[in-house]
Amino acid sequence: MQRFLDPSVLGAISGLDLVAKTVVDGFVAGLHRSPDFGFSQEFAEYRAYTPGDDLRHVDWNVYARTERAYLKRYRGETNSLLTVLLDASNSMNYSSHSVNKMDYARFTAASLFYLAIQNQRDAAGLIVFDDEVRNYIRPSTRQGQLHRLLSGLEMAQPRARTDFGKPLHHFQEFLRRRGMVVIISDFYESPAKIIRTIEPLRFHGNEVVLFHVLDPKEIRPDLKESAVLLDLETDERMEVTPEYTRNEYRGKIDAHLETLRDLARGAGMDYHLLITDQPLDDALREYLTIRQGRN
Amino acid sequence: MGFLSPWFLAGALAVGVPLYLHLLRRHTTDPHPFSSLMFFEKRTQSSVRHRRLRYLVLLSLRMALLLLLALAFASPYINRPATGASGDKLLLLAIDNSFSMRAGSRLEDAKREAMSVLEARNPAQRAQVLALGSQVHVLTQPVLEASTLRSAVQGIEPGDSRGNFAELARAVRGITESVRTPIELHFFSDMQKADMPASFEEMSLPANVTLVLHPAVKTDVPNWTVESVNAPGQVWDPKKARVEAVIAGYGTADATRTVSLVVNGKAIATQSVQVPANGRATVEFQSLDVPYGFSRCEIRIDAADTFPADDSYLFAVQRTDPQRVLFVHEAADLRSPTYFGDALAAAAESAFQLNTVSVGQAGNTPLAPYSFVVLSDVASLPSSLESDLMRYVRAGGSVLIAAGTSSARASRVPVIGNRIIEPHDYSLDGARFLTVSDADASHPSIGDSARWAGVKFYYAVAVDPADSRVIARLSDETPLLLEKKIGEGRALLLASGLDNLTNDFPLHPIFVPFVEQTARYLSGTERRSGSRLVDSLLELRTAKEQAVSVEVVDPAGRRPLSLEEATSAESYQLTQAGFYQLRLANGRQDVIGVNADRRESDLAIIPDDVLALWTGGARAQPEQASTPDSAKPAEQKSPYSLWWYAMLLVLAAAVAESVLASRYLGMRRDES
Repeated sequence: MQRFLDPSVLGAISGLDLVAKTVVDGFVAGLHRSPDFGFSQEFAEYRAYTPGDDLRHVDWNVYARTERAYLKRYRGETNSLLTVLLDASNSMNYSSHSVNKMDYARFTAASLFYLAIQNQRDAAGLIVFDDEVRNYIRPSTRQGQLHRLLSGLEMAQPRARTDFGKPLHHFQEFLRRRGMVVIISDFYESPAKIIRTIEPLRFHGNEVVLFHVLDPKEIRPDLKESAVLLDLETDERMEVTPEYTRNEYRGKIDAHLETLRDLARGAGMDYHLLITDQPLDDALREYLTIRQGRN
Repeated sequence: MGFLSPWFLAGALAVGVPLYLHLLRRHTTDPHPFSSLMFFEKRTQSSVRHRRLRYLVLLSLRMALLLLLALAFASPYINRPATGASGDKLLLLAIDNSFSMRAGSRLEDAKREAMSVLEARNPAQRAQVLALGSQVHVLTQPVLEASTLRSAVQGIEPGDSRGNFAELARAVRGITESVRTPIELHFFSDMQKADMPASFEEMSLPANVTLVLHPAVKTDVPNWTVESVNAPGQVWDPKKARVEAVIAGYGTADATRTVSLVVNGKAIATQSVQVPANGRATVEFQSLDVPYGFSRCEIRIDAADTFPADDSYLFAVQRTDPQRVLFVHEAADLRSPTYFGDALAAAAESAFQLNTVSVGQAGNTPLAPYSFVVLSDVASLPSSLESDLMRYVRAGGSVLIAAGTSSARASRVPVIGNRIIEPHDYSLDGARFLTVSDADASHPSIGDSARWAGVKFYYAVAVDPADSRVIARLSDETPLLLEKKIGEGRALLLASGLDNLTNDFPLHPIFVPFVEQTARYLSGTERRSGSRLVDSLLELRTAKEQAVSVEVVDPAGRRPLSLEEATSAESYQLTQAGFYQLRLANGRQDVIGVNADRRESDLAIIPDDVLALWTGGARAQPEQASTPDSAKPAEQKSPYSLWWYAMLLVLAAAVAESVLASRYLGMRRDES
């Protein structure tokens, strides 16, 4: 089943809805064999019936044995709000293999939306940003919301550069209801600045999750000879040596990742590094874990 | 170090190509997109330096490849010591045992000298012994055992062949190809000038051969010899036989020599002759009184010199009754028997007796006693005579047919049966006569074809050659002389007469040799000869005499032919001087006298400067070589080719360049 979550396989599927369905169905099927995770329709507890409760949830078998009406409660039954903030800056266009970071981010977001809407009946929304807010789809559980979200993902084309400062200012206007905020980005910015910008979202009682999407070659560049590199966001050119990438660059990127993770966790956020050649289940697993915690 | 083809070094200029491509041509680098450069720092200088460094390695390899390629084609070589290159140096002892080494004690001196060189030899050094006559005889393989080498040297006997220094050089060249180690050649010889080949180059030795000469004599020695003898091989009238001998002196003063004709060991005639200084004189004996059968004859002089072996010249003579020849002619034709008979009688060695009969008288003549039959312009033969003739020829007899004006009346030539086409009377034509235009000089009857040129033929009978061999043609392509094999015998047809009417052939000098040679050919005595030279080949059988045993008895009384050779060998090389006794395949007995080549009698030695040239100038002087110490020749340099090493370096550079270049190109592909 793991092969359905392989990004290179998903890259060959046309249509984000099909990608999301494939990923989530495969992921759910995997969960059913796992003893560690429950799911939304899993029994949680009985609660005494109070007038006004939906009679469909009364466990009539218990009533027959005890002559008392109890409601059967399930996990995840409560509705949540999922908002995905998708970085659509030019740096997301980088790829060293068949799936670039933007595609991977789209797959992740689409899978989250599919899981939230189809399986959890959660409200889901999307904010696409680079140095401005490019698109905003209000979280909703209305009919056709998934289609709107997936269309929003399809239309999100990388351009410009990342600037968390300006769009985050607007986020707070959009995110008035508490819920889960997932930020998918490559976070090419100072970790302190990133956290400082995102931290206010946490103050509103949101669960904030950072999905850090990186290409494997961004973490471990494999230059065999000196080359001129072109910055996708700034168009800056720089001649670099393999020795530098092998030694100093790796140290710097590792420090960046570690700092970002530490600062994010220090600020009460969840941080996950997603490598574009790894399966998508980490993101989905993280979503379900947080959602269970919220219940 | 030098170069055999230095002009190929110009190819080194091709190093400019990679130089241009690497250093002068501007490199363009495509930028590689990357997410963000926030973690990179500019390291331009180190990058460029690194790129140049790697390019310089590739550039160096490519330049080295081209330079080495040019170097390899220029064929570099170094001079290195030819003898010092290997400790295993072959000691080659060549001892001249040609005929001239019989003079004085030359061969014994040479063998003694060779033994002393063997004694001085390092026991760990391999040695080989050769004997040189007209050919090189390998007496031992390269061995270490001193006893084998000593016995090989001591076993060398004087020979009768003519020495040939070119053969020695050729044999040594062959040995160097198989041995592949330096060779120290010690040559023990009288250094006879006559043994040198026509071209000095034929005596040249390979570079890894060091020649040390051991001359048996140091100065020219005067010598007398019987240079040649002209004597008949067959005699039937001793009073008519003549023996002519040439007496020669080499380096001699004016002197009178006594010349003896010895027959079967007994001197039957003696003459004195005045021989000029360093010159020749001819002696003629007017008769050769020998008994019937084979006689072993000898011309001997009282030379009183150091080389007695060449003071006599051997030849064999056979005395027989004259062979009978039947000459059949028309009764009216008296000219033909006269001309033919006179020509046959005029031949100096003639041993034929001519019986002339007219056609009418020949009817009952028995043919068996005749060695061959002549039909001279016979119009028609009695049927009994023709059938007798056919039987006679088929049984191995021979017939000569002359077709004159009378023969033209018949429709075919008697005996051979060839169709007569038409008579040609050239005297009636504008040309008046024709000459011989084409004659096969290899046929015994023709001899010197040029001498036929002046013979005028006024009349000839055109005969269809059919399956006959045409030996001579007239200028209008009419066959003049034809030969046809019939059974075991043969028939010759002259398409003109012998009468001096249809041609002027009988009046020409060629007529007598023609008659004599034809008579010998038809009677089967043409192969006999009284003397031969050593090393000449003796024909033992013809092509149709296969599987018939022959017998050869050499001067020592031995039979040198094995049973297989006796039935199959077509020729035999006469290797010794003396009398050989033969029984040939046709059953005839023969004795021949074999003499050494008289060029061996000229004992003049090769000048020192020529010997020095042969030994390689300063390498070894003949005077020094006469002592055992001279067995250590001066060190000689020989070119050693470095071509293979250059090509190996080219290969290594090419492989390294390929690996480096493919890695570079591979990286470029990965990055793109």
